[in-house]
Amino acid sequence: MRIVRRVRPRALISLTPLIDVVFILLVFFMLASSFADWRAIELMTAGQAVRAPSPDPAVLVRVQADGSLDLGGERLTAEALPARLAALAAADAERRLAVQPEAGVPLQRVVDVLDAATAAGLRRVSLVGGGAGG
Amino acid sequence: MRLKPRKTAPDSENVLPLINIVFLLLIFFMVAGALERSDLFAVEPPATRAAAESDAAVGVLLLAADGRLALDGTAVTREDLPAALEAFRTAHPDEILRLKADAGGDAVAVVGLLDELRAAGVQQVVLLATEAGR
Repeated sequence: MRIVRRVRPRALISLTPLIDVVFILLVFFMLASSFADWRAIELMTAGQAVRAPSPDPAVLVRVQADGSLDLGGERLTAEALPARLAALAAADAERRLAVQPEAGVPLQRVVDVLDAATAAGLRRVSLVGGGAGG
Repeated sequence: MRLKPRKTAPDSENVLPLINIVFLLLIFFMVAGALERSDLFAVEPPATRAAAESDAAVGVLLLAADGRLALDGTAVTREDLPAALEAFRTAHPDEILRLKADAGGDAVAVVGLLDELRAAGVQQVVLLATEAGR
């Protein structure tokens, strides 16, 4: 039996321009699209936080510029904070926590403190400004 | 000695796998990546561990480390901020304001901005952050 080699018809559209365009599209989407996975941290604005003088006083966490923390007047290291916050949350999860950064503290450290508070189970965490002096 | 010119295979056969891969990549980047307008100035958002997911589509207030502000891609000054926020709320009544602040910036500046937002009548603010551990 003879196998007749089929002669492929010439492609109607040349593939090279197609590939060019597809490559350009690919590069465009690679450069222009972002894969950032955004997270949202609820910031209880102080207006909500101090809406009414609540019976329970807020626990104040001061974030110091030298890297230490101040929980209700007691100096702490950043490592000791989660355990203390967990103890606070175990006693009363509705306890208000006010985080007060000192001047010169980068935002990342404040976010770390907010994270620790959320991880400990405290729900009412607010960010308060300085100047009040606690 | 005469060299027979080697018969090259048709072009289309060689490039078809290439086109397949490129198309797959193209579709991946089109579907998986989100097209975003790039920020007016470089802001490195803080990293967080526990937070709800968010999109950074509309209502993004950008706070650079040096204190410059931009709302949805337009630079605003502190004086114009209340007017810009008012315009934003009129245009998008259901959108909450997303604050994208630099992780290395001063946290006190963020707290001060929150005070200004509250004075401007903003009810709810979330702080945008990226997922930690990446």
